[in-house]
Amino acid sequence: MNKPCTNRLITLLVIGFCCISLVLPFSLAMLWSLVDPGHPWSYPHILPPVLSLQRWVDIWTTTSLPQALLHSYLLAPCVALCSVLLALPTAYAFGRLEFPGKQAAQLISLLPLIVPSFVVALFFSSLLNVLGIYSRFLGILIGQTVLFIPYAIRILSVSFSLIRQEIIDATRDLGGGPITVFKTAYLPVLKPGLLASIIMIFILSIEEFAIAFVVGSPDFVTVPTILYSYLGYNFIRSNAAVVSLILVVPNIFLMLLMERFLKARNTAVITGKG
Amino acid sequence: MNKQTLLAYCLLLPGLGLIIVFIFVIISMALAQSVGYFNFSGSSTFTWQFWQQILADHQLSRAFFYSLKIATISAILSVSFAYPLALWLRDPFRGSQFVSSLLKAPLLVHGLVAAFLYVNFISFNGFLNQIFVHLGLVSRPIRMQNDSYGIGVIILQVWKQMPFALLLLTGAVQSIGHDITDAAKDLGAGAWTRFVKIILPLTLKALQAALIIIFIGAAGDYSFQIVAGPIDVSSLAQLMLRIQANDANGWNLSATVAILLMLTALIGSALLALITQQVIKWGAKR
Repeated sequence: MNKPCTNRLITLLVIGFCCISLVLPFSLAMLWSLVDPGHPWSYPHILPPVLSLQRWVDIWTTTSLPQALLHSYLLAPCVALCSVLLALPTAYAFGRLEFPGKQAAQLISLLPLIVPSFVVALFFSSLLNVLGIYSRFLGILIGQTVLFIPYAIRILSVSFSLIRQEIIDATRDLGGGPITVFKTAYLPVLKPGLLASIIMIFILSIEEFAIAFVVGSPDFVTVPTILYSYLGYNFIRSNAAVVSLILVVPNIFLMLLMERFLKARNTAVITGKG
Repeated sequence: MNKQTLLAYCLLLPGLGLIIVFIFVIISMALAQSVGYFNFSGSSTFTWQFWQQILADHQLSRAFFYSLKIATISAILSVSFAYPLALWLRDPFRGSQFVSSLLKAPLLVHGLVAAFLYVNFISFNGFLNQIFVHLGLVSRPIRMQNDSYGIGVIILQVWKQMPFALLLLTGAVQSIGHDITDAAKDLGAGAWTRFVKIILPLTLKALQAALIIIFIGAAGDYSFQIVAGPIDVSSLAQLMLRIQANDANGWNLSATVAILLMLTALIGSALLALITQQVIKWGAKR
């Protein structure tokens, strides 16, 4: 068989697989979220007998979902901002300075990704007890911030390393002060990286389950913890379907936005303009 | 120490410094609680009692072997599926960009959502059973949810982690020059020989990284296990949380499980990486 033919065949296989493993399950979740409470979807109905938005209305009015959304979407920007601000100096050192032990330092910065998340969550909650920090919001904010710093460091160190010394020198030679240098040489190259890391951490924070669950439960709910409550022992399918969609759909759009910022990086490097 | 080095170290403090302190304090906390310190009730004195109690518990050994099994199988299966795809996507063709983003789509799906979608699909009253019954393959729905071998958990792990392995391996495979593989081809090496003697050794680092990260993630899994895993056996993370919530000495006992979980993740993944290296070296020399 020739190569284009094989390629086409495998492409079709991959698309078929994605239909079964992604499109179909998501369509089913969509259908389950639209099942009318008065007309259950069960055997022998292949499709739900009656569709309505009643589940969405019910879950919005009778559960703590609005509160969970408020918590998640309040936490995420705070975590993103704190992580990025704390990561900036380290990213600068990794991206623009040479010093002994740099490689080891870069490896160590990945530590939070290696320690199992539920171990971190459990003993972080124990630490909060010892320290007497009882605010759930503050606890989760601190935990998630530290946990997500590595992502910001990684994205931003690449951004810092892409800043061209010639442009910095040229701006200085032309009499530019520190602010002008920052505006002309640093900011245009940093901006896509900054936006990308803020969005990345925003998504990670919305999705974070271990710390939010261990530190927050039972009284501080976020979107993943509320989804968790509908899975497991009390499996409420329609509610889980609604919350799943609420959790996944906005993040996919944010991810696409982030990819655009990261792609914009190349043009910024070449032209020196964002 | 010169000025620049000093400046660099100072700059590391708010980011890297914080990470080190955080992780160090958390691990120390677990270590201290496992030997009887930082008790929230009663006295805090040094004791091996909790280690003795947990090591004698058969639940622990079951959870340990179960987590080890899930992590090893998930890591190996994920890279086994990722390799052929990475090799296939090595040279761009029409639509390869699209296929590669399709394959990476599971990275965007939250673990709990993935678990829900899976359970919803295979549950007693789920789509798969409906289809089976309608097609006449079975007379009544079969029970597939929470299977006792952990197959559901492995499927979820591989589905979620394979794209990650693919991401690492695609980069590694693409960086191998065509001149090397072409030369091997000219010398008469078949596809399998080229894979074993050239591709595998040259992508070893990426392969090890993928194995390590997937192994650690799967060994510490809680979400997939609680939603789709067997009822009669716990994963280490699940056991840790359950003991903490239910036992009178919950914090101390769960601390011992936490340390065992970290050791399992670290030593297990390192061993897996090492064995892979040896196997690949042996294969290349043969």
